Amino acid sequence: MTQPTDDLTALATPYALHAMPEAERTDIERRLADAPPEVARAFDDEVRAVRETMAVISAATAVEPPYELRDRIFADITAAPVVPLRRKPRPWRATILAAAAAVVIGLGALGVGLALRPAPTVSTPEQIFAAPDVRTVSGDIPGGGTATVVFSREKDAGVLVMNNVTPPEAGTVYQMWLINDDGPHSAGTMDAQAVAPSTTAVLPDLDGSSTLAFTIEPPGGSQQPTTEPFAALSLT
Amino acid sequence: MTLIVAVDRLRLVTTDLDQLLRQVARQDVDAFATFYDQTRARVFGLVTRVLRDPGYSEETTQDIYLQVWRTADAYNPAAGSPLSWLMTLAHRRAVDRVRSEQAASQRESRYGAANVETPSDQVADSVLLSDERRQVTDCLDSLTDTQREAIQLAYYDGLTYVQVSERLSANLATIKSRMRDAIRGLRRCLGVA
Repeated sequence: MTQPTDDLTALATPYALHAMPEAERTDIERRLADAPPEVARAFDDEVRAVRETMAVISAATAVEPPYELRDRIFADITAAPVVPLRRKPRPWRATILAAAAAVVIGLGALGVGLALRPAPTVSTPEQIFAAPDVRTVSGDIPGGGTATVVFSREKDAGVLVMNNVTPPEAGTVYQMWLINDDGPHSAGTMDAQAVAPSTTAVLPDLDGSSTLAFTIEPPGGSQQPTTEPFAALSLT
Repeated sequence: MTLIVAVDRLRLVTTDLDQLLRQVARQDVDAFATFYDQTRARVFGLVTRVLRDPGYSEETTQDIYLQVWRTADAYNPAAGSPLSWLMTLAHRRAVDRVRSEQAASQRESRYGAANVETPSDQVADSVLLSDERRQVTDCLDSLTDTQREAIQLAYYDGLTYVQVSERLSANLATIKSRMRDAIRGLRRCLGVA
């Protein structure tokens, strides 16, 4: 069966959308193998463009699956005898937090997952993301890098993500302050080691704070800020 | 206040998913967990939109991720982004399932042709994904009604382009060009290379 090649190209979009029966798909693949290289290339380019477009479009239909599905999938893969595991998996709970934070920062960072507060409850980021009033604020840090806070008033909690922030000088730490009507309250410190290319921290208790401010403090942090904030994010 | 636009973020996602997929190909369970968490809402949402049955959708999503685990080494970066590899695989599985269940003829479209949007109480609980969702929805809205209808029937309802032409009483050439123009419109609007 011989058909003109422009007919073949016109089928690239339905082919890429899986909008044809299996038999026709196979037939097209056979015809492509015999087609002039420029026709095959044009077809492939169109298919690729359709797929990349629909990959972006998938944001429009995103729906969280039930949590139990995760357990079933991991039961599947750990049972699938393919190649011996190279190392033992970390506990899932630690991974969930890192993954949740990775979503927040746009996934560009190299290393994620340094929670500054002792053992934040793992579900906090997920609760924040699920909150109907979830908000994001973001700003540049003078001296380099950005800070982003994803927070929910309803959950009274937030997640701070710092990207590419210049680490504090030796003998100092950065201290974070949540400022409400009563004044500043420490939200933790980070030293030079803590400030990786990407740093995340859970802010478990917003308590009506309107601002998250950063100061330079001596090691271990201070009870109250001892320097002027070098950066601040308005939590509105 | 900085907002990363969808396509810029996709580039970042791509770098990250690319790395993760390579690790998954080496059977790294941690990397798989992160990959799952970063993509599960897109995959489950698309599968649910096509299958419209929670049980089938969960089974199919499970199959898709098992396939990811087994075939991650087949991913070829030269052929497209990791997200497009995944979503193509997911859509194929969902459409195959619809056809094998022969459900297409029985199921009724609960959403109108113009409504590709997901009810807001079910959307993914990632704030940045929801920003992206808004942008993507705007682009879907920028299509003509007939273009959107063609995408709805072919992509989300799993009809073949021949079935779409029968459903809309339009000839095949018209349907094919409508689908192509719809994709071009979306590409332009989203800035997809």
